[in-house]
Amino acid sequence: MGEVICLLEMRGIDKRFGAVVALKNASLTVKEGEIAALAGSNGSGKSTMVKVLAGLVAPNGGEIFIDGKKVEIKSGTDSVKEGFATAFQDLSLIPTMSVKDNILLGCELKTKGGFVDEKESRKVVQELLDRFHIDCDPDDYVQTLMPSTQSMLEVAKAVFRKPKFLLLDEVTASLHYDEIETLFGIMRELKAEGVSMVYVTHRMNEIFQICDTITIMRSSETITSGQVSDFTLDDIVYYMTGAKPKHHEGTGEVSAEDYTDRELVVDIQNLSIAPKVKDISMKAYRGEIVGIGGLEGQGQSEVIRAILGAVKKDGGSISYLGKPTKYKAPADGVKAGIGFVSGERNNEAMFPIRTISENIFAGNSAKGKLFKFLTSKEVKKFSQDAVDTYNIKIGKLKDPASSLSGGNQQKLVVARWIAMKPNLLLLDDPTKGVDIHSRQEIHDIIRDCAANGMTVIISASDTEELMDISERIYVFYEGEVAAMLAGENKTPEHLVSAMMGIKSSEKEVE
Amino acid sequence: MSDKSINRDFFSRLNLFIQTHTALMAVFIAIILLIATFIVSPSSLNKVFFGNIILLTIILSIPAAGQTMVLIGGGMDFGVGAVMSATAILTTYTMRGQNGHFLQVFFIAIAIGAVVGLINGICSVKIGLPAMIVTMAIANIVTRMQYILTDGVLSGSASPALAATVSYRIFGVIPAIVMYAAIIWPITFFILNKSRYGKQLYMVGNNPTAAGLTGVKVDKIRIISYVFSGVLAAFAGILGAAYMATARCQIFDGYAYDSLIAVIIGGTTFAGGTGSYAGSIAGSLVMILLSNLLTSFNLPSPMRNILNAVILILLLMLYNRSKSVRQ
Repeated sequence: MGEVICLLEMRGIDKRFGAVVALKNASLTVKEGEIAALAGSNGSGKSTMVKVLAGLVAPNGGEIFIDGKKVEIKSGTDSVKEGFATAFQDLSLIPTMSVKDNILLGCELKTKGGFVDEKESRKVVQELLDRFHIDCDPDDYVQTLMPSTQSMLEVAKAVFRKPKFLLLDEVTASLHYDEIETLFGIMRELKAEGVSMVYVTHRMNEIFQICDTITIMRSSETITSGQVSDFTLDDIVYYMTGAKPKHHEGTGEVSAEDYTDRELVVDIQNLSIAPKVKDISMKAYRGEIVGIGGLEGQGQSEVIRAILGAVKKDGGSISYLGKPTKYKAPADGVKAGIGFVSGERNNEAMFPIRTISENIFAGNSAKGKLFKFLTSKEVKKFSQDAVDTYNIKIGKLKDPASSLSGGNQQKLVVARWIAMKPNLLLLDDPTKGVDIHSRQEIHDIIRDCAANGMTVIISASDTEELMDISERIYVFYEGEVAAMLAGENKTPEHLVSAMMGIKSSEKEVE
Repeated sequence: MSDKSINRDFFSRLNLFIQTHTALMAVFIAIILLIATFIVSPSSLNKVFFGNIILLTIILSIPAAGQTMVLIGGGMDFGVGAVMSATAILTTYTMRGQNGHFLQVFFIAIAIGAVVGLINGICSVKIGLPAMIVTMAIANIVTRMQYILTDGVLSGSASPALAATVSYRIFGVIPAIVMYAAIIWPITFFILNKSRYGKQLYMVGNNPTAAGLTGVKVDKIRIISYVFSGVLAAFAGILGAAYMATARCQIFDGYAYDSLIAVIIGGTTFAGGTGSYAGSIAGSLVMILLSNLLTSFNLPSPMRNILNAVILILLLMLYNRSKSVRQ
């Protein structure tokens, strides 16, 4: 097989975003008419690889060869010129334009006179929609379509460009079963036509169903690659996570007796939030640190926000301290003694142009009588105490919060809430992009609080972090609880297999 | 070449300084304008001049207080001028030069201001219409109502007692209106700096998502800022009427722009989340001194307005700052 030239080859690709390494000596090869799976857990760099090929991310180093010739992909235009078409995970459709205009965007059909050929456009778009079994009118606005239809449309748009290379970045995440079948049918047709595809997914079964080769990434590096037939499911999971998955029977709900002496703080029953959360039930007891694990986007953020009142639930119930919650806004949750720490600190937690002191005091500012007199002394003492207690490295309290490092910003946000002594603290991936030292400090603070009776629910994409801090772990997969790990069951191996959605039943299929 | 780079360096440093010390800069500009005024017309160095400057600055600083709050919260209120005109007319129309209607005028005016502010707030915050369009449209309605009330005819005047509380010169220099400032300035300072409301307003203006997730009722806080703006403008209208004695329709409409520019010169930004009332007061002083300086040039009024606009644009360019970037 040595004489087969790789149609596409990426060699030694490096990419750094500031100090963060996104790709380190990453590589990928795809032959003609081949479907190459690109697998890896959260933040392993697979989406960045796709973005490099799509011309959205300029690598700091490395080479890309097409047909043995070195090419430079500096922009989206370059990428299209080299024959790439990309279906993005977060969609490249314009919501306020029609289906037809979206599909033809940039390659509008013209009449001889130079006008847009409406008749021909409609015809080709209708053909494309039929091929993809997309049930909508070419004139429908994209924003009126279901998320799954939009995802299909995103793929259809890419396929319409008749690419040499089709890049599919987690396109099946919101697709229904029959839509996935349709998509796979089309992928097989394209394969027969000689189109090469890069298929990013975290659904293991899809890799075995449709892909020829697999490239596995971990921590920004390409770990291994080869024919899919040479890998078992356990191999793939091992390469992705570094831990061997272990299969276990049942989800192991801890027997009620273990907890009869503890107060039930949060009780979620059959919660559903369209489109991501399908059926989640979980409990958290007083003084307990409950972890929520899973790959990115399995509904963790939505569930946490639903408890706070920031996201409306579609079905099921959430009880807090024995009473069903009816929060209309986070303000209601905060009033009830719930605190929320977001890992998306720039968008959701920090007030960058306000002072450090104001940022620490923010939770206090948000709670209580609007026109009560606050002395500077009171504010200063509160923030100075928090800075001292939680060892936040600052210049002056009056400096803008943007002057702090990421780790210290996150410590500040955690301190902001803990100083308020909430009953229940919700943390959504709180140590995202935080250095290891600050992460440890944050964990220590959280443990301390739980020991003093605070209930903590923490979601984290990092398995080690979850293992480290939580008493029990609910693992989410596709909007459902794939496993509840506690006691002896709480092992990295179990966590990893549950994150990949591997259930005992699937093992038998293997 | 090197000259140019030194120049650029100087200007970028100046720019940085101005952007980090906006309130101080407004004071500095005011001092320059004051000196310029004395150079142009030394004769203006007298009691009457100082009294007038203080009086006019205080009147402008009142709608500017509301405008500051709205801008910090990330909104904008183009309707303060119309509200001022409306309550000025209400004052002269109701008082008709007689003493004794103050409380009646006061409460009706405040109610008008609060209602207009509430409508502005609900339309722009809850319904999500662009603040600029909404506040202008509502202002237009308020303006038309002035004509309905008065038929466009100048009628009545402020009571002599009320006029005295504004224009009487204590020790022959200080206008009595400082009494009102002594109440409104500290209250505004308290609201913005010492109350939860103020802290929440800055949070909402800087990062509404984070504020919401921290437990702030974002919409409520923003709507209240419009109500404050309406109420303060309404009160300023009463004082304006007292100062002018009579009031025609749309008499104070210009205060919408003047207050906005005064606030921005004082360091509050359109992007929200930053600014101070001290800056807005200094900005008001700049506006009054500038207009006074141009008057002393004896130019025809259109020329004066053009020059005024050009200088303001140049001033605002110094403040040009991009929306605070979040990484």
